Amino acid sequence: MIEAHDLTRRFGAFTVVAGVSFAVPDGEIVGMLGPNGAGKTTTIRMITGFLPPSSGRVTLGGRDLFAGDPKVRRELGYLPENVALYPEMRVEEYLEWRGQLEGMERAAIRRRVPEILDRCLLTDVRRQIIGTLSKGYRQRVGLAGAILHDPKVLVLDEPTVGLDPKQIIAIRELIRELGRDRTLLLSTHILPEVELLCGRVLIIDRGRIVAQGSPAELRERWLGALGVTVEFAAAAAGQHEALVALPGVETVDAEGASGARFSLGCARGADPRAELFRLAVTRGWELVELTPTRASLEDIFVRLTTRDSDDEAAAGALLTAPASVEVAS
Amino acid sequence: MSGALAVLRRELRAYFYSPLAYILLTFFLLVQGYYFALLVSYLSDPRFPAGKPLEIYFGQTIFTWLVLIFTGTFLTMRLLSEEFRSGTIETLMTAPVSEAQVVLGKYFAALAFYVFLWAPTLVYVAVVRWKTPVDWGPVAASYLGLLGIGALFLAVGLFASSTAKNQIVAAIITFFCLLVLFSIGLMENLANGETAKKILGYLNLWTHMDDFAKGIVDSRALVYYATGVGFFLFLTTRALAAKKWR
Repeated sequence: MIEAHDLTRRFGAFTVVAGVSFAVPDGEIVGMLGPNGAGKTTTIRMITGFLPPSSGRVTLGGRDLFAGDPKVRRELGYLPENVALYPEMRVEEYLEWRGQLEGMERAAIRRRVPEILDRCLLTDVRRQIIGTLSKGYRQRVGLAGAILHDPKVLVLDEPTVGLDPKQIIAIRELIRELGRDRTLLLSTHILPEVELLCGRVLIIDRGRIVAQGSPAELRERWLGALGVTVEFAAAAAGQHEALVALPGVETVDAEGASGARFSLGCARGADPRAELFRLAVTRGWELVELTPTRASLEDIFVRLTTRDSDDEAAAGALLTAPASVEVAS
Repeated sequence: MSGALAVLRRELRAYFYSPLAYILLTFFLLVQGYYFALLVSYLSDPRFPAGKPLEIYFGQTIFTWLVLIFTGTFLTMRLLSEEFRSGTIETLMTAPVSEAQVVLGKYFAALAFYVFLWAPTLVYVAVVRWKTPVDWGPVAASYLGLLGIGALFLAVGLFASSTAKNQIVAAIITFFCLLVLFSIGLMENLANGETAKKILGYLNLWTHMDDFAKGIVDSRALVYYATGVGFFLFLTTRALAAKKWR
């Protein structure tokens, strides 16, 4: 369990993070989303104890991270945004060193290193000098270093950057597995990744949390209404009118050239799909497509973080102006 | 303390993984060897006055100081600045180790390499012993003095390294600080006024080393080095705490 209590960070006159509070409960994967410069990395640096906050507290399992006892950080595994490694060391040697740094027993290091090399798909480069590795491999060495000591809390800042598609799938699988019995905070730009992995999402913009909840909750709250795309085998008279008459349907737009394809906008909370099916059956219109179009996280993200005026943002007001959409969480 | 040990071990390895260590070792031994050979040939020439080779070797020439100032600079310039530049400091400071442990680990790694650098000069002592009897007291005192002054120089260098992101900048700062530290005592002869002369006399590293080479172990000199080391290591710890967020 890691908790941020009203974290604020100022750099000179700039407030980069303004009063961010959240908690990552045990066994949950929380995703952190935000445009560049939103204060994500600054927040993460405070959460991991690297950057002291200007005000506010971070607790890890109830213990203050900045109280002065570095042992609190033993429960923490951290993969920074720019994975920095010592280029002159070999992969295996580096991981052994990370184990020593974390205060692991010699026997535990000897047992864990081969295991982690295997899990992070690094076994074939374990004797290689880090400086000669590609970015994808380095990323995995960093991840291996972060999980080596089996920390209860894991903070990963963009863990799949620089990996090829096959590796991304493998690493996501690993993250999902790690999140099962751990607290995991994941910052990423890749929205499908968040939908795929995270039980909860925090959206940060201009140093504040503008929305949080499960991907489903966010969808519900921000783009609650359902859309349905429907297509019949052939166009027939009265299709448009019949669709408009369906309960819960607010708008009907014809789509495509066939004249038998429509896009329906529904009222909040309404789901006319069953009714639609019955209508098709009674009228003898053969259904060839019935697709619900839900808002993706991407839509929500764009909607929440688009500035009212880009000029205003450029003028530096982004830090002081209230966010365009604010949510009581 | 396991954290400090881990830092120390990695730092020592880093010395030997980089060409710097070997270049430094080579030049150090070249300079020392040439200088020692020069000294021996000078002393064995009947036209010149007789002298004690080891006493002169350790205490009385500028060579020792040039070597000390350069090694103090080269051994420390990378220590912390490179961590800031590459960003590895983030991993280091989010691991369960304190700033003091990082500083101590790095400092003792530099000191260990420094000792390693001087160790081959024991051969010169053996060479002298081969031809003439050696008075072991002054030799031991000389090495103690070299250790003390080296310890002080390395602490200054480590502190300079904690203030800069660029190791060249760290090296320049160190070089000038060490020059000042070395030359401030030499002002003794220029100072007017008894107190000033006395104070500068206490700080005169050259006379310290000259004394050590004669076998005089002055505890005031040792207290000066120890205080200096403590002071600069403390400053480094504070600088690291203040700088870890760039």
